[in-house]
Amino acid sequence: MNSIVPQTQSAGAPQPSDDQENLYAARKKLQVRSVKGVFANWRWALVWITQIIFYGLPWLVWNDRQAVLFHLTERKFYLFGWVFWPQDVFYLTILLIICAYALFFFTAIAGRLWCGYACPQTVYTEIFMWIEEKIEGDRNARMKLDKAPMSGRKFALRGGKFGAWALFSLWTGFTFVAYFSPLQELLQAAVTFSFGPWELFWILFYGAFTYIFAGHLREQVCKYMCPYARFQGVMFDPDTLVITYDDERGEPRGARKKGSDYKAAGKGDCIDCGICVQVCPTGIDIRNGLQYECIGCAACIDACDQVMDKMAYPRGLIRYSTENAMKKHWGMRDILVHVMRPRTLIYSGILAAFCAALVWGLATRSTLRVDVIRDRATLATELADGNIENVYRLQVMNMTEGPRAFRIGVGGLDGVQIRGTERIEVAAATTQAVTLQVVVPPGSGKPGANALYFEINAEDDESVAIREESTFLMPH
Amino acid sequence: MLKWIQVLWPSFMVAAVAEAVFFTVVAPQELYWRGEPVHLSAIATYSIGFFGFWLACAASSLATIFLQRSAGEINRIHQASPRS
Repeated sequence: MNSIVPQTQSAGAPQPSDDQENLYAARKKLQVRSVKGVFANWRWALVWITQIIFYGLPWLVWNDRQAVLFHLTERKFYLFGWVFWPQDVFYLTILLIICAYALFFFTAIAGRLWCGYACPQTVYTEIFMWIEEKIEGDRNARMKLDKAPMSGRKFALRGGKFGAWALFSLWTGFTFVAYFSPLQELLQAAVTFSFGPWELFWILFYGAFTYIFAGHLREQVCKYMCPYARFQGVMFDPDTLVITYDDERGEPRGARKKGSDYKAAGKGDCIDCGICVQVCPTGIDIRNGLQYECIGCAACIDACDQVMDKMAYPRGLIRYSTENAMKKHWGMRDILVHVMRPRTLIYSGILAAFCAALVWGLATRSTLRVDVIRDRATLATELADGNIENVYRLQVMNMTEGPRAFRIGVGGLDGVQIRGTERIEVAAATTQAVTLQVVVPPGSGKPGANALYFEINAEDDESVAIREESTFLMPH
Repeated sequence: MLKWIQVLWPSFMVAAVAEAVFFTVVAPQELYWRGEPVHLSAIATYSIGFFGFWLACAASSLATIFLQRSAGEINRIHQASPRS
């Protein structure tokens, strides 16, 4: 019999048992060779576009305010001409669904396009690697530096790199916080270094995230941390474009002299130079087939095409292709024909429907919202003149960016009228509460709850009108 | 390292979602702390809320990886003399 084993373990790595081996291997640092080519240009284009938007948007001014600001303190989201309130979470939900289906759609067509070109992890890694290369040199120089003992030069290079990364990360953190806290206030605080404690904290927190993710974790984020990497496989099918090594053409691989008749020697087109592995940001060998680590960056395509050019072989030994195309030797034309298939049609149909819903929702979005709350403290009061009075509290939200006046009317019961306030002015993008006494002559309606409605109209725009239902209590 | 990632990373993602959902519905000034209205700044409330969610989710992740250990890992002291 086994004795009861204490649950606590001494420190140290657990030893793998026979049936369950720990598959986690300590990471080997990758020094990725930089690459130039069509797909690298695409990636850089997307780095520029996404980052000009990310760093630039908080500086943009619209209606004398920050154009894009998710103002947490005011609980309002400013987005160009729109002001969104927490009640508008519906639009955010639709937007998230659209993002999800767009991701599914692009993945079904051409694999991990998002990962390879536009994901922040890829974009910042690209920027950080560019800084690294500028300061420490190319792949060979960096590997030599890694091996070299610490010296004045190594210390200066490392310090320079870490410093440049840190500055870039701080700027990124500052920009991130500027989306949630007005940029002008942050700038003033930056001049005198008088940030609020939490603002400073989040600048450093997001900056540290950028630094660690893009500087040190890199491909590990994609391999171990990204949820999308785990389920992207379900969107793939045999007609999905993925980065493919043409092993029929390439194998058997092997070194040869340029211009030699390698086919006579029984060799394929792959010269086994290994550059496709050196440029891979996740350190895999694409010649082993599609692997889940592949983020679809196409760096190996660019690299291999250059080698093919040098050898005067046709390009495309590694290329975007599909499983079916490889098996059935399709050309580009057949591949394009198979882009239209049930899976992509369903994804694009759903995508189009949600996009239409979002546009329709935004186009018909009312700029006025009213909440009616019956005063529950006093139910029904019989006034001196015999009339019955109920008290209501109206929350009137003006969702435009100018002040507005509204007229309040009441109906649904014979002889019903409002005593006192019938007009309310609401400042720009604010909520104004108003308390109303509603009076009904005796004999109108039945004892108990009666249906009643309020009508609120903007004075300057007839089309801005809302009818809110409520109940009027008559005493028994 | 792997265990740190397994505890801190999924909890971080879930905490971010929980934070967004919770504070979409609840305004910070509606909250009470031991019977008193919370008088912290909104940013502070959001921040503390986020770390509260993260902590709770991390505790759950920690419990998960703790319970997930294999029999071999729990009984490893006795591996020298295995019995069927």
